[in-house]
Amino acid sequence: MSEDAISTVPNPATSKRRLHGIRFNLEVRRDISPWWQAAYLAGFIALGIGISAIILIWAGVPAGDLIDQFLVETLTDSDNLRSVLFQGAPFILVGLSASVAFRARFWNLGLEGQMIWGGIGATFISIHHIGPEALRLPIMIFAAAACAMAWVAIAGQLKLKLAVNEIISTLLMNYVALNFLYHLLYGPWRDATDGFPHSPKYADFERLPDFFSFSGALPLALITALGVWWLVSFTRFGFYMKFVQASDKVAGAVGIPVARITLVSVLLSGALAGIAGFVVASGQEGRLIQNFSDGYLFSGILIAFLSRNNPIVAVIVAMLVSMLFISGQSLQVFYQIPFAMVQLVQAIIVICVAASEFLIRHRIHIVR
Amino acid sequence: MNELFINWIANTPGYAAPYALAALGLILCERAGVLNLTAEGIMLVGALSGVGATLTMGGYPQLAIIIAMIMASLVSTLFATMTVLLRVNQVIAGLAMVFFCQGLTALLGNLFEWKNQPITGIGRIDVWPLSEIPVIGHIFFSQDLIVFLIIPIFYLVNRVLTRSMVGLRLRAVGESPEASDAAGINVTAYRFLTVMAGSALVGLAGAYISVASTKIWVDGVTAGRGWIALALVIFARWRPWRALLGALLFGAIESAMPRIAAAGIKVPQYFMLMLPYVVTLGVMIWVAWSKRGGATDEPGALGQPHVREERR
Repeated sequence: MSEDAISTVPNPATSKRRLHGIRFNLEVRRDISPWWQAAYLAGFIALGIGISAIILIWAGVPAGDLIDQFLVETLTDSDNLRSVLFQGAPFILVGLSASVAFRARFWNLGLEGQMIWGGIGATFISIHHIGPEALRLPIMIFAAAACAMAWVAIAGQLKLKLAVNEIISTLLMNYVALNFLYHLLYGPWRDATDGFPHSPKYADFERLPDFFSFSGALPLALITALGVWWLVSFTRFGFYMKFVQASDKVAGAVGIPVARITLVSVLLSGALAGIAGFVVASGQEGRLIQNFSDGYLFSGILIAFLSRNNPIVAVIVAMLVSMLFISGQSLQVFYQIPFAMVQLVQAIIVICVAASEFLIRHRIHIVR
Repeated sequence: MNELFINWIANTPGYAAPYALAALGLILCERAGVLNLTAEGIMLVGALSGVGATLTMGGYPQLAIIIAMIMASLVSTLFATMTVLLRVNQVIAGLAMVFFCQGLTALLGNLFEWKNQPITGIGRIDVWPLSEIPVIGHIFFSQDLIVFLIIPIFYLVNRVLTRSMVGLRLRAVGESPEASDAAGINVTAYRFLTVMAGSALVGLAGAYISVASTKIWVDGVTAGRGWIALALVIFARWRPWRALLGALLFGAIESAMPRIAAAGIKVPQYFMLMLPYVVTLGVMIWVAWSKRGGATDEPGALGQPHVREERR
């Protein structure tokens, strides 16, 4: 008995030597071929999708139905396809919003609050019948952008003038905006016709028109994406932004107006989020509902992160997120999987992609 | 009116406890140089685990709180792996963790049917005969177990942080990982273990919310308290006792909210619910405004990953 116990214990001297024998050394890669980069990225995204699939199967979705739900159903069913194409529009807009702010080194985590203010601004125009009917839609979009800009300007100024941490200030302002929305919907803006806590329905001319039976939201978002792409790639402003993103100290030293560039980027970011809020309010229910902005914050950050703040790539990622979103809705209906699953899948993919960047930037050496 | 006032003061510690514990855990992480934005998510993990363990064991809420701390600590290893081992941007990693935890807790709460199940939770302990003293007895000697433990926990953590070799090394790692590395301190190990220890405290804060305050799990039960705790860390200038002071302020505000309505003062309900967030913003602005406020203990290398091979 005692002999057995002794024989299973490794000799402390050799085990210690073995521990010291293997060492992991990190080496920083100076360059890596784009193919390897893509391979690492694809591998880790596949890993993320695999983990998500395992969780879904464990949560009660039959394995055979997964591909059916995520690819076949969302792209072949015309209702679902229409939803995917519509839903892509707000995702493109919040993704652009996040990437514009991140390019100016501003962590705008107030996307949802800015969306809410966008919705409130547009609905204010609708309720008070401001402007002629033909111009109502542009006025509402303008009001959405203006309200959201005013909201984000608070956090922007606090950061620039007093160095108040924008991560926390923008996040807290989401809660303030949400409670203000509740106040409006349960109070002065409650729909008088049915008594439910949502705003009165927009008139037909206040909603985004359909083109060939597809929502006009997507063309609006695509044009915006092209505009942002032009701004960041071909203008002096975009050139300055690259400086600020690389190093705000150096940018300031070479005479670039860092504060002004940051503030304009932050305002633009807010305006984009505000328009996204209007698109959701106008395109989905045609009115403000309680939690219409739920989940867009993280989707916006995810799109900006995965597209590396590139507006054109952001469009592609946004459409993929839109597919995930619509599949999540059908999973909720058919298998009672809570919608939070969509958030979980997004978080897993971000974690995996972030991990892949480590391997892209470093090489691990095992030293014996 | 007097009765209302005593009630308000007596209820303040219960509301302050989650802020205090979460801020203490965050201070620990940040003093080691890890910018920890995960508080909101880790608190949810603690809150769900606390309720889940109580329901599974059919009681024993004290044990459930310890299990919640362990679970929070385990989940935080994912964040530690990302930020300390893989050197991922700490803001991205922290946010991803928050949303990961929100999704995970909502999913698990649903699947295990822990949602909307009331539990007994932990109750008040009356320290007889001291609790019979008028006014003071009700305020100081009739609280729950965790509230009684807060001062010892703060004393212990502060003592370790400022008066021990481990604490000195931990602060050195947060101040200058390069110098610590050169001095032979294992930066990776210190940061990794500190994240786990700090997250255990954050998980305790979350478990307190679900097991002692609400006594029920609903999705997102922490309602942004993790973000307020983060702001508290800045208010406290990374010093534990100041964090306790700030937590008491927030506890007092939150505990006053239902009582203002009960006293018959008419304030629109949703403006009342906005109050903690608005006050937090106000405090952050005030802290930024008054630069005279004295020295800060903000770590020099907060948010900077340490890569020995990238040393400049």
